[in-house]
Amino acid sequence: MPKHIVSGLKYIAAVNLRKQGQTQREIAEALDMDRSTVSHYLNGRNLSWNSIEVAEMVTNFCPKDFLILTHALLKDTERTRTIIQTCSNLKFEGIIRNSCIGCGICVDTCLMKAIVLNDLKAHINDEWCCGCLICMEMCQTNSIEIKEVVD
Amino acid sequence: METTEIMDGKNITLERAGEEDRTLIFKNDMCAVCGLCETICPVSAIEANPTGAMIRTEQDMSKIDIDVNKCVLCGMCSSICPFQALDLQINGDSIRELQYPQLIKSAEIDNEECIHCKACETACPQDAIIITRELPSRAELITGEIDIDKETCIYCGMCEEMCPVDAIDIEHQTPTSDNPVVATDINVSEDICVHCGICKRICPVDAIKQVCRICPYGEYEISEPEINGNSYIDPELCINCTWCQEICPVDAAKVTKPFEGELTIEQDTCQGCETCVMVCPCNVLSFPKSTKSGLNAEKLHKDERFCIYCGACQKSCPVDAINVKRTQINYTPTKSKAWKKAFESLKQ
Repeated sequence: MPKHIVSGLKYIAAVNLRKQGQTQREIAEALDMDRSTVSHYLNGRNLSWNSIEVAEMVTNFCPKDFLILTHALLKDTERTRTIIQTCSNLKFEGIIRNSCIGCGICVDTCLMKAIVLNDLKAHINDEWCCGCLICMEMCQTNSIEIKEVVD
Repeated sequence: METTEIMDGKNITLERAGEEDRTLIFKNDMCAVCGLCETICPVSAIEANPTGAMIRTEQDMSKIDIDVNKCVLCGMCSSICPFQALDLQINGDSIRELQYPQLIKSAEIDNEECIHCKACETACPQDAIIITRELPSRAELITGEIDIDKETCIYCGMCEEMCPVDAIDIEHQTPTSDNPVVATDINVSEDICVHCGICKRICPVDAIKQVCRICPYGEYEISEPEINGNSYIDPELCINCTWCQEICPVDAAKVTKPFEGELTIEQDTCQGCETCVMVCPCNVLSFPKSTKSGLNAEKLHKDERFCIYCGACQKSCPVDAINVKRTQINYTPTKSKAWKKAFESLKQ
């Protein structure tokens, strides 16, 4: 069953990546699939519609649950990052307050690898932030604020 | 992501593996329990243990406790510690070598100026200075002549016994029927002899002729004594107290202190318990010797020239008779506002 959800998630990601103009080869590489499977998926074959429905539900979970479930299913940070970024429609903005001491806890906890340290301060790459708020919860100096960006 | 704690005797190591591997190392021996780490810690993870008990009695515990559940390994404690008792390493490199704010402090001895008198080595409260020196032989600083008339000599050995530099050597032997003498030879080493004349004066048979040439001819025959030496300050042990700089007779030592400030003692409040004297890593404090029975000019004497304003004495005083005010903290510039604020917060 977990495998079916993964397939559903990869299907949604593949379709979105195709819409972004990526080639089948690029999609196969990004999602760690072989090209023929990508081709089948994009043509709606070899996949139960029920898996896609469940996967779609998962993508609509709150960002933290979506991220943690996906990471638990895939057991791979790189693929998780790709799927979360391609399947999430939400946008976030991370603000680091001046009270940040650059301890790096957020860098270590961010599953999306969206945070780096620079000049003893954390910097969030909004492109990759999925809004899970794990960094905010872990920050011992309350220096992180994550805001949802509504277009 | 978990931070783990390893205790090695009284030393503490905290580790967290992640994007960067962070390790915080605490060396108990180097800690003066000044409490600066406790004050600066942004997550209140450090607690300095009671100084009096730590210094005056044998304790099985570390001078500070670090709460492994609170410490985020940011390195502020390591940056502020004037005694290098704490060191944060990132991927194996100490943050003292990285782009982190550092206390500006230094101590050096100019070997060109240094006359190797060892005053600094004797005065250094941390035994951080090693002066090595090579002095010329005594004979190089004297000139004269010595001769022993072996025909007259009765080999009594008095000269050998009296010679202060062991320059005379007699080949003693037990007389035998085929060679009925008490010694076979006597020699004086001109490289060792300092022409003091003691042998000449003690000789019961006037067999020794000795003359020192310095009185009649002056010292022109003697070259200037050459003293070679080296000075070394151990950067791990040095706490920049300026004892070396102040005691040096030729101004060869230069020291920059990390903090500037003011140290005040309330003589009336002080109970003379001596804890501060034992605690102070810079030997700033001492009890003056009584000049007259029952009379002391002051209970506790200070010499602020040596004070680095770490605050260990203030922290240790059980009756709050000492106040340490830091007016300046010398540290390398940083872009981080949080770090700047933390360093500045230690000023009063």
